[in-house]
Amino acid sequence: MSSPGNGISRRELMAIGGAAAGIAAMTPLAHARMLPAEMDRDVFAAACRDLRAIVGDDWVFADEASTISYRKSEIPDLRGEHIPSGAVAPASVEQVQAILAVANRYKLPLWPISTGHNMGYGMATPASSGQMILDLKRMNRILDFDAELGTILVEPGVTYQQIQDYIDEHDLPYWIDVPTVGPIVSMVGNTLERGVGYTPYGDHFFMQCGMEVVLADGSILRTGMGSIANGNTWQAFKWGYGPYLDGIFTQSNFGVVVKLGMWMMPKPPAYKPFMVRHHEVEDIAAITNTVRPFRMNGLIPNAVMMMGALYQLAMFNRRADLWNQPTPIPLEVLKGHARRNDIGVWNTFFALYGTDETIAATEPIIRGAFEAIGGEVMTDAEMSGNPYFEHNKTLMRGGLTLEEKGLVRWWGRSGGAVAFAPVAPAKGGETAGQTALATEVMNKWGFDYAPAYVVGGRELHHIIFLMFDKGSDESSAKAEQCMTEMITRFGERGWAAYRSAVSTMDLVADQYGATNREVNARIKQALDPNHILAPGKQGIA
Amino acid sequence: MRPQWKHGTVALLGLIAATGAALVAAPGDTAQAQATYEIAPRAPEYLYARTCGYCHGHNVAPLIRGRNLPPAVIQAVVRSGMGAMPAFKPTEITNTELQALAQWLSTAPADPQEHGQ
Repeated sequence: MSSPGNGISRRELMAIGGAAAGIAAMTPLAHARMLPAEMDRDVFAAACRDLRAIVGDDWVFADEASTISYRKSEIPDLRGEHIPSGAVAPASVEQVQAILAVANRYKLPLWPISTGHNMGYGMATPASSGQMILDLKRMNRILDFDAELGTILVEPGVTYQQIQDYIDEHDLPYWIDVPTVGPIVSMVGNTLERGVGYTPYGDHFFMQCGMEVVLADGSILRTGMGSIANGNTWQAFKWGYGPYLDGIFTQSNFGVVVKLGMWMMPKPPAYKPFMVRHHEVEDIAAITNTVRPFRMNGLIPNAVMMMGALYQLAMFNRRADLWNQPTPIPLEVLKGHARRNDIGVWNTFFALYGTDETIAATEPIIRGAFEAIGGEVMTDAEMSGNPYFEHNKTLMRGGLTLEEKGLVRWWGRSGGAVAFAPVAPAKGGETAGQTALATEVMNKWGFDYAPAYVVGGRELHHIIFLMFDKGSDESSAKAEQCMTEMITRFGERGWAAYRSAVSTMDLVADQYGATNREVNARIKQALDPNHILAPGKQGIA
Repeated sequence: MRPQWKHGTVALLGLIAATGAALVAAPGDTAQAQATYEIAPRAPEYLYARTCGYCHGHNVAPLIRGRNLPPAVIQAVVRSGMGAMPAFKPTEITNTELQALAQWLSTAPADPQEHGQ
């Protein structure tokens, strides 16, 4: 294949050119957009006209070329089940209200996004085809940053990068707490999905305080203390009075959250990151049991990551660099690569925050506990400059990085990754059992097991990135089947996901039981009787 | 170049003073709301550093500086997200910004500090 001299093949150039012109779609499934089911083309066109009258011609996207960014996702979608009809991008609360009125009038389903970079879970794509993306990125203001209380009030389009820039610009003594892909994603979006980070403020929903929600009928709800006349406590006290409502607007389709309050972590005088190496798969049980008491008593203040070597290696390596067979990477091969990169099979990351004195007092206690189970406790002194150490060192101080994007390229340029994130009690038997089951199922389908455990407190999240080749229909089909089997078999053991890709929302919702689904359905019917907001989100029609 | 907010600037009332790690702030200190939604176009270098450069030149994605990539290709890839790359929407990088970014990137020399694959 000849090349124009810049490393891009002619085939790639043709594909790119086709994408630009909106003609890349050679099959119906490759189309960037699909109309809502049972909606006539002229009705959709009329809805778009009304939407343009609200936001202007530039901010309604309803053709192949302009919708292509919203179609992009790295999860399997062999049957074209997650294709939007278009997108509309309001710039204000008033415009959101007006858009909802149009959606009610035409029964046009809307799928709200903040930035639409929900990595591993479907990016901006909707739970079912035909929904119009309600892109809130233009609502990008930091509305308040109380430097005394360390609270922030932001709109959905505000990224972690924007907040960090703001902090730097004003020399504010606070840290942000980022999710994996911080620079390009929204604090509102991640918090509403109940995502987690890496500092002591890593449980984002726990650190959330107050929100403003536009309901489907256009009414505006401020939760907590937000509706008190002349009130000033909205970002200081979470619970308000009566039923606590914030929770029903997370991982939900009951309203459109347009403002969110968060607590910010005071920048500590001293910060010391640690990495503990273990070299056997079975060590995960002892590591879990060692971490748990320190999370319960707070001696380790941040969420502890137990990173599998393969997850880490996949950030900076392509699969073909490490293993050239189609079969899963053998453990001994993985161990060799880990050793050559100065990491273990498991690498446990945590940090101490405070003053030099408090860290010096705490470190020996924690160090001793890990050394007692055969861990090699490493710090900057031994690991500075190692990219795998530096990665988590960056995250645990709220630093911005996109290095974990590398996982999506594991099988090559086409990308492909879908996340499965079951939760469990933070006990050694649980991690040992989950690791064994995930390895068995993933290897059966020909995939490599890339794990990361996060111990929040008494629970742990098990983040499994199922990396596949989206350029191959066969690989995509296997990924889909593998994910279904994992969710099902984990479910049989009582382990369910805390979050799910748009492709498996119903499957996971079923595991939470019929009554849960029924209650959610009743709330949905009461708040959004036309079901215009994100039907299918978390299995809620 | 930092982004310039079109109307009014972001300002802190009674800007706090931080000594060491200790926060010294007078009661009532608070940041004013950012004033408007639309921001003036951000410079290509600024956008590259805050978006592209986290992967390209950082061992995650291929080097793209110093390769004379055609501007039309750059624009198409940013919007469609080739392969593992995310797609960036007009609400994230406007058409005006993308045009300037693509033009700049197509002639930007290789940066020896970057490393990639």
